[in-house]
Amino acid sequence: MSAGEENIATPGEILGDSSQFIAGKGTYLAPNGRNIHASLTGQRRLVPPPPDSAEKRLTVEVVGHKTRGAVPEPGVVVIARVTRVMARMASADIMCVESKAVKEKFTGIIRQQDVRATEIDKVDMYQSFRPGDIVKAEVLSLGDARAYYLSTAKNELGVVSAQSIAGATMVPISWTDMQCPSTGQVEKRKVAKVL
Amino acid sequence: MGPDKSLLRTKEDNKVKRAPILLEMATGTLGTYSPSQSLERRHQQQKRTDFQEVDWARSDGRNFHQCRPAFLRTGAASSASGSAYAEFGSTKVIVSVFGPRESKKAMLYSDVGRLNCHVTYTTFSTPIRGQGFEHKEYSSMLHKALEGAIMLETFPKTTVDIFALVLESGGGDLPVIISCASLAIADAGIMMYDLVSAVSLSCFGKNMVIDPTSEEEACQDGSLMITYMPSRNEVTQFTLTGEWPTARINEAMELCLDACSKLADILRSCLKDNASELTA
Repeated sequence: MSAGEENIATPGEILGDSSQFIAGKGTYLAPNGRNIHASLTGQRRLVPPPPDSAEKRLTVEVVGHKTRGAVPEPGVVVIARVTRVMARMASADIMCVESKAVKEKFTGIIRQQDVRATEIDKVDMYQSFRPGDIVKAEVLSLGDARAYYLSTAKNELGVVSAQSIAGATMVPISWTDMQCPSTGQVEKRKVAKVL
Repeated sequence: MGPDKSLLRTKEDNKVKRAPILLEMATGTLGTYSPSQSLERRHQQQKRTDFQEVDWARSDGRNFHQCRPAFLRTGAASSASGSAYAEFGSTKVIVSVFGPRESKKAMLYSDVGRLNCHVTYTTFSTPIRGQGFEHKEYSSMLHKALEGAIMLETFPKTTVDIFALVLESGGGDLPVIISCASLAIADAGIMMYDLVSAVSLSCFGKNMVIDPTSEEEACQDGSLMITYMPSRNEVTQFTLTGEWPTARINEAMELCLDACSKLADILRSCLKDNASELTA
């Protein structure tokens, strides 16, 4: 029995009292408001409160040994592959959420008004994305039953990697253009400014 | 003209017609029959009278209030998000959990997660080989037992699929499936309020026998199954069937809840052992 084993919490286990701790990630407060229970299997960890806050209690967290598969949530940056481009929206398959790959893809759509921040009514979808492009987008909301709503309306969001008609991986030359290295042809995309 | 008496069923007609169906239900097999039905029926009657006596020995040597020893492992199916394998005596179940993953396009939007449960029996799970089938009633009971324990609001719009496969059905299948499923969900890293442990109990007239095997279940008068979340002291499902003397129900509940708490400790230690193996 190693010392680490005593620190492992399982779902439902009581981790502490609410007068001494705050419920952090992987924990929840019981309905009676007194006990803090774990909701995941993992290591129990105590986080001290930020120095400038009035809060004196430590935060108790359960850091998952096996965190569940990644799921898109509003506000996170995802990497998606464009599958269809239509007049007013583009459909994309979400493949990574932040830096974790998903086991099975989620469907997202980028609407015309969410492609960029300026002149949103003059956006031409075919000059922003093409099927097969890899884009970095932000999840706006859970959307409807069929797809998450994505947005590329920031400088660092947009097409990260694309293939030209000739089949070579293109090089970005401006925020609206990418050039094929083998033929020299310039194609229009909404390019992400990757620093 | 009066009613045609030849069409009215007499009591004798009803008795003769009902007997074969009872036999099928008692032996627990579907779609098979043995040529010598009268011999089997006499066997069943003999067993029933045996169980009605005050003192009888259980086939595996346990006493009435003793549960079967449990063998539990997580991580049995590596392609699933989470999985668990449970062996309680001769009942062997493997549960795999997939998710949270995208709901089918046909489903309407929901702001809480969805749970999809399937309980399947293999062709070799019963003593007489049958057809592998999906047990729809157990699937829905598994869903009801687990939905109170999982934090569905942490994965909106997505679905968690739970597939339970019964490799060998040795009695008390549903409680084993439920306990194994809650272990698999914990292994998948899905947030839960608490682990769910389940125990069933059979009533034979005056006697109460906990964690019955399939022969005991076949001759029981009534059964009680409780699924329990011990840390929160909450019951997620309570199933009472058959004939019960009212005074015994309370005692049966106490027995079940006690067994559930002990089983939950075993579930927790299994999770901890497997978790420390990952870090070690």
